[in-house]
Amino acid sequence: MKELEKTKRISIASTLFILIVLIAVLSYERPKHLYKVNSIATLEKLTSADYFVSLSNINNPDYVLIDVRSQFEFEKGHLENAINIYTAEILTDDNSDVFEEIKEKNKTAILYGANPNEVNAPFMLLYQLGYDNIKILAIENSYEENKLISKNVEIEKSVANINAFIEESVKKASKGSKQKVVVKKPRKKTISVKKKKKAPAEGGC
Amino acid sequence: MVKKKVAKVLAFRYMVLAGILIILAGGLVLLPKYEKHEGIKPEQLLSNVISPERYITTDYLADKLISQDPSYLLIDVRDEESYTTYSIPNAINIPLAKLLDEDSEMYLNQDQFNIVLFSNDNFSADQAWILCNRLDYKNLHVLKGGVNMWYNTIINPIKPTEDMPAEAFELFTFRKAASMYFGVAYPEQFKATVVKKVIPKKVITVKKKKKAPAEGGC
Repeated sequence: MKELEKTKRISIASTLFILIVLIAVLSYERPKHLYKVNSIATLEKLTSADYFVSLSNINNPDYVLIDVRSQFEFEKGHLENAINIYTAEILTDDNSDVFEEIKEKNKTAILYGANPNEVNAPFMLLYQLGYDNIKILAIENSYEENKLISKNVEIEKSVANINAFIEESVKKASKGSKQKVVVKKPRKKTISVKKKKKAPAEGGC
Repeated sequence: MVKKKVAKVLAFRYMVLAGILIILAGGLVLLPKYEKHEGIKPEQLLSNVISPERYITTDYLADKLISQDPSYLLIDVRDEESYTTYSIPNAINIPLAKLLDEDSEMYLNQDQFNIVLFSNDNFSADQAWILCNRLDYKNLHVLKGGVNMWYNTIINPIKPTEDMPAEAFELFTFRKAASMYFGVAYPEQFKATVVKKVIPKKVITVKKKKKAPAEGGC
């Protein structure tokens, strides 16, 4: 009888264990979004810099324009045939379906926003989730009289040569000071020699 | 007799249990491959990326540099050529292509310093930040506007017009002082020193002492 009890305990324990594992496996939810690209591969893509398009070549039937600004901005003015997917809502189910559809049809999604910096985030996120058919439209959007004005912009362009600026300012400043020194130099050195006369000792020796 | 039967049943039971356990172990091997799924979850990454917390302004950075705050480390993610031409003082250079190298990890993946990433504009610095954020590096910031904004606000600040509030003028004085700290020279600086260099009149007094002749017989 004692032997039976021991073996019963072991079998009960192991069945319980198996049950628990089964329950865990069945209730396991596959995460909705999984990265398909690791960081190093993403970095290589970023440094290749071949994912930009400019305004002149957006009239391609294979391109789908996506505006990543908020709905308010989108309604103020947007490029023709653009659909609006706000950056914060990229991972919702509806939008994921949109991207899957674009991928299936073998089209390229072109993302744009108020400026290229805004587009950085959705672009990188989508790329890392596996949608490699996306590009960035490098434009700056502004409004004039309720109309949208878009112009091409160069990414990461240096605005000024700072070293040259600093050197020039030093030159200018020292030039100005040199002139003044010249003016003030020929001032005569006036040395006044004072003769003091000591009064002769008077009286009372 | 009873014992023998029991023994058989028990043996069978154990075999069944062992079999199930082995199958489960095999299932673990076949779980979806997580190799490429490194880093924080996409939803988390998205919310981090959208928030503007990571930006710091050029004024803030200038303040930290001038007061020589030792906890800030500047990393320039442009290419070497741009870095050697000009870079914000005390910045080190990690070109974007080398961001995930092992040597760079020592600079990026630590929680001693506050790291400020910058480039000509936000773009490359933001990309670097997003990459590092996926790998859950902490204490990373981005300089808003990059070197271009540095030029426009610190090196060459815009003089406020008459109709701007007093804070704008205070900000301008701060920026102008900062620009002097970083090497820009203004003509007014030299004017002041020239005035001081005026050679002062030297007054040399020569005293002639006349000794009084001894009078009388005192």
